[in-house]
Amino acid sequence: MKKKLITLEVNGENHELAVEPDESLLQVLRNRLDLVGPKKGCDSGGCGCCSVHVDGRVVYSCMMYAAGAEGRAITTIEGIGSAATGLHRLQQAFIDAGAVQCGYCSCGMMMAAKQLLDTVKQPNEDQIRLAIAGNLCRCTGYTKIVDAIRLAAARA
Amino acid sequence: MTLPNLQDYHRPATAEEAIALVQQHGEGAMLVAGGTFVHGLEVRGLLDNVTALIDIGRLGLGGISREGDTIVLGATTTLAAVAAAEFVGREPAFGALRDALTYPPPQIRNAGTIGGSVAAAAPLYDIPAALLALGAVVRTTGPKGRRELPLDGFFRGLFESALAPGELITGVAIPPPPARTAGAFLKLETNANDLAIVSVASQLTLDGAGRIAAVRIVLGGGVGETYVRATGAEAALAGQQADDKAFAAAAKAVSGDFEPVTDHRGSAAYRRHIAGVYLRRTLTTARERLG
Repeated sequence: MKKKLITLEVNGENHELAVEPDESLLQVLRNRLDLVGPKKGCDSGGCGCCSVHVDGRVVYSCMMYAAGAEGRAITTIEGIGSAATGLHRLQQAFIDAGAVQCGYCSCGMMMAAKQLLDTVKQPNEDQIRLAIAGNLCRCTGYTKIVDAIRLAAARA
Repeated sequence: MTLPNLQDYHRPATAEEAIALVQQHGEGAMLVAGGTFVHGLEVRGLLDNVTALIDIGRLGLGGISREGDTIVLGATTTLAAVAAAEFVGREPAFGALRDALTYPPPQIRNAGTIGGSVAAAAPLYDIPAALLALGAVVRTTGPKGRRELPLDGFFRGLFESALAPGELITGVAIPPPPARTAGAFLKLETNANDLAIVSVASQLTLDGAGRIAAVRIVLGGGVGETYVRATGAEAALAGQQADDKAFAAAAKAVSGDFEPVTDHRGSAAYRRHIAGVYLRRTLTTARERLG
């Protein structure tokens, strides 16, 4: 396989990388850029824990080829807030509402919820549940997750 | 991801370049747009013979345009962009397309494309059922030039379509629906990640007296190797008053329109029963949308 030289814009920074042509965006984020917020769950576009934003829209990073992501703006959970730079209101709300059990789905849930809050200021419960329909919580802790998203919206 | 025989990932800038690459790699070429279908095949080990991925994201095939009253959905228009189009949200005639677009989760709507959903030629996909009900036409370009292929007849088998080698979809054209037309789509699945058991897209046109002037019914999901036009149910409805009695007759007739599979998701008898129930519901919704 011929490696591809690409420039990826992730969380506002450009990275020059040599990637395999079949390497997924998720693999590049985790293995080359040490951004381990996006998780490898099903790795087949079903569970949502790899969710990131591409040009402001949430996608499954496991289903996107890194070589195809060149020229697009990628945002991971690390890019929306951190303990060092200040938490995003979704991150704070997940803590305050106790919306984390094992935590494996949380980053993907927040990225899916962020697209909703970016477009709808005060979403109702149906809108919240539809926004996270592509994300599985294997602990089944959906109620607290919905509470957290509602709390984040209320704090806007 | 793992494609054991992959040599390169190409991002051509023009359709001509893309066609040349497909011809160069022959059977080893795989077109990629949103990547969701490609990935689905890859994780099942069905792409081990692929030598080149050809990304068509830079060909400028995205976007929705109008040619007179015909609406053209560019091949790489995302499902999200179609769902956000004003006419899709408002017009009863686009009800089936609107309904079908609600099933994929946001992550798939933001990545998956109209052209990809058609090129996949898998009756498990929701969007083409709605496009079939709308009488859509597939536009292609290839080594022998451009073609327009009615979606009716485009699907030849599971993963098999009327596309010739080296030919790619540039868009899907939707002819203007007649006045007093409405559609609806429904799907049954065991969960959001599973394959559809049965899906139904219905399109109704009523005349001034409330009779059915035109009707198109498309079945998808586990109903066979391709989508099925429910011609028996359509015949039961044509010319009838659009009332519950006619809808019940169509629901009965539809069970003879297809030879469903039996598997762990449901028996053939169950699929026939559900097709009838969902047909009645989509017809009722379409009628309601006409007010």
